[in-house]
Amino acid sequence: MPTRAPKVLVSEVSVTFESHGRSVLALDRISLQANAGEFLCIVGPSGSGKSTLLRVLAGLLRQSAGDVRIEADRPGTPLTAMVFQEHALLPWRTVRDNVTFGLENRGVPRAERDARAREMLAMVGLTRFARHYPHQLSGGMKQRVGIARALANDPEVLLMDEPLAALDAQTRTIMQEELLRIWATLGQTVVYVTHSLEEALLLGDRVVLLTARPGRVSQVYPVDLGRPRGLEVRGSPAYGALLEKIWSQLRDEVLRAMAEDRGA
Amino acid sequence: MRALGRWLAEHWIAVGSPIVLLVVWERASATGLLREAFFPRPSTIVAHLRQLAADGTLWGHAAATLARIGWAFALAAVLGVGIGLAMGLWRRLREGLDPVFAVIYPIPSVLFLPLVSFLVPPGEIALVVTTAVTSFFLIAFTTTHGVRQIDRLVVEAAVHYGARGWRLFATVLLPGALPFIFTGLRLGLGFALIVVVAVEIVSASRGLGALLWLSWQILKVEDMYATFFVIALLGAALSYGLAALRARLLPWVQDVAERR
Amino acid sequence: MSLAVPAALLALWELCSRLAIISPRYFPAPTTVGWVLADRFIAGDLGAQSLITLTRLAFAFALAAVPGVLLGLLMGIARPVRDAVEPYIAFIFPVPKIALLPFLLIILGVGEPAFVLTGATSAFFQIVISTLGGVQTMDPRLLEVGRNYGAHGPRLFWKVILPAALPAIFTGLRLGLGLALVTLVAVEFIAAKSGLGHLVYRHWQMLSTPEMYAPHVFQGTSTDVTVPESSTARESTSGASPRCSNSWRNMRAGKTSATY
Repeated sequence: MPTRAPKVLVSEVSVTFESHGRSVLALDRISLQANAGEFLCIVGPSGSGKSTLLRVLAGLLRQSAGDVRIEADRPGTPLTAMVFQEHALLPWRTVRDNVTFGLENRGVPRAERDARAREMLAMVGLTRFARHYPHQLSGGMKQRVGIARALANDPEVLLMDEPLAALDAQTRTIMQEELLRIWATLGQTVVYVTHSLEEALLLGDRVVLLTARPGRVSQVYPVDLGRPRGLEVRGSPAYGALLEKIWSQLRDEVLRAMAEDRGA
Repeated sequence: MRALGRWLAEHWIAVGSPIVLLVVWERASATGLLREAFFPRPSTIVAHLRQLAADGTLWGHAAATLARIGWAFALAAVLGVGIGLAMGLWRRLREGLDPVFAVIYPIPSVLFLPLVSFLVPPGEIALVVTTAVTSFFLIAFTTTHGVRQIDRLVVEAAVHYGARGWRLFATVLLPGALPFIFTGLRLGLGFALIVVVAVEIVSASRGLGALLWLSWQILKVEDMYATFFVIALLGAALSYGLAALRARLLPWVQDVAERR
Repeated sequence: MSLAVPAALLALWELCSRLAIISPRYFPAPTTVGWVLADRFIAGDLGAQSLITLTRLAFAFALAAVPGVLLGLLMGIARPVRDAVEPYIAFIFPVPKIALLPFLLIILGVGEPAFVLTGATSAFFQIVISTLGGVQTMDPRLLEVGRNYGAHGPRLFWKVILPAALPAIFTGLRLGLGLALVTLVAVEFIAAKSGLGHLVYRHWQMLSTPEMYAPHVFQGTSTDVTVPESSTARESTSGASPRCSNSWRNMRAGKTSATY
């Protein structure tokens, strides 16, 4: 492994929320890093602060303590672009205009914007729907637009907040395949949050396991399942072993989170 | 032609019943079954309508009413959308103005006429301003709500993708509020018609409301019906016309589907 | 906080009126209006007139509510009825109901029946449309579930359709009430010799301005009290033609769907 500064460096980040006069510690001194070109997955029970962490990385939320650093190798391109769980597309813009939204805001000229949009839509397989409005698309398609929008911005780091969680199982599997394919082509640094351990192992190079609230880094597991990867890896013994190993850890955290919900 | 035929077959009741009604009315009136003084024959009404149109009275009054509606609506729309947006964006302003609006709004529009006639020169301006008052509130309220109901997540995503300040307003907040603004404008326009007719009855010598009242006072019942019909046409044109415009202007809005 | 702005405005008005910056004749100081309001209330004058208006409102509402809900329900469940009646509703709905007043005055003479009936028509159309909307936009799956569990015909109606439509019906009733009030006050202003609307008119003519403003204050604040609402609860859903969902605002709005 080449020793360079990591692309994403999170040092002792804590996030505290004020809610109804009470303070809630969502993240507790999180430290992790992602290397350039790496696909990092973050898994944890509900309430472990996974999305919160992602929002901090995206700059949507300010951490209460700690430091976040993202290496900017290419000035002029945005540091991050996020794919939201609920797609968060602008309903009054066509698919194409949604994809170019970030570029518009940065003042990229029209010709270049349109070219990028065409490219990205082709990559996610939605060329035919460029002129459609979001409400005319299915959930899976809307999510693909969200991905295209993020990719179109050519960010240093791609952030994905459970992007496939709202899809049905079949569409989800197809989309996982799509993601693998797209990422194999573009090779960006990705931080991917998910509930599904299966998904994390399928997609990621490393898996970070967070504890129940307050979220701490429980452990980091390397995923040595080879690249390029396809859906068939799910049948391999290495995958099965890894799944079992990490799940026993995750299970404890999930149970702990549920107990807290019951008790609290 | 076939499409028309099909449409007629489906809607024969809707088309047929008014026709039947008119025919029955005509006969009943002619034979004295219905008191002709109260319910003149449709044919006579049409004749009077023709007359009013021919000698220009109708157009004169209609034009006066339309002009007042036009001015009042423009006034209400500009102020309403402007202040509505401001209230939607700045909480302080909203909290400050809300209680004031809340007290003024329920007052039936006609009652503003005296008030307004003290503030502005009596005559056209007073009528226009009175007509604009309730419409203004309607438009302001719906606009404010339109801004506030925009999905927070969408705004967040937009900010994340680089929209700030003016751009955020122009590309997110304004389009997001637009469906509601449009609804407010439609309501405001409809309301302007209601109020204008009422104030014309009270204190105008020209205008469809004035014509209606005048016809009543001199007991020209046929003219009353004719005027009423014209007012109804105007109301329909305004209300359904603007509704049709909606589909063009707001292509991304889904309508509540008809289930039955 | 929310009282600060109105209080400040009133104080400003008071000052300007007392110092004759604005004409105290036309804009009496709020304290003067307050005294008159209290005085008139105690003397029974304002109270009596309000009672008259409210009585008319009660009758108008009763006249409109029952037939309105019934017709709306009928139109909702029986397609032929809907087809037959809808064109008339669609035609009259956008018309200012005040325009019906002269006709009723001729047929029923100048008196309470004409006033009350005019107010009733305002409420009637709104109630029909809201009720119809309630039936039409109910979740069709509820019907399936109902049938599946053995409810048919009258049972299906009472146990499934009616309860499902109830919220919309109540909204329609509220709106209708507000609309009836607005129309009634306008009618009183124009044609009656009693009631709040007439009170304003009379004092306007006599330029006894403190007395003139009193009903305004009464109107504006009494709806506040009888219909509690928070300022943030001002909602409106998308307006549409009489077929689809209704535009409704919160309580005090009575006015909104007036033309739709």
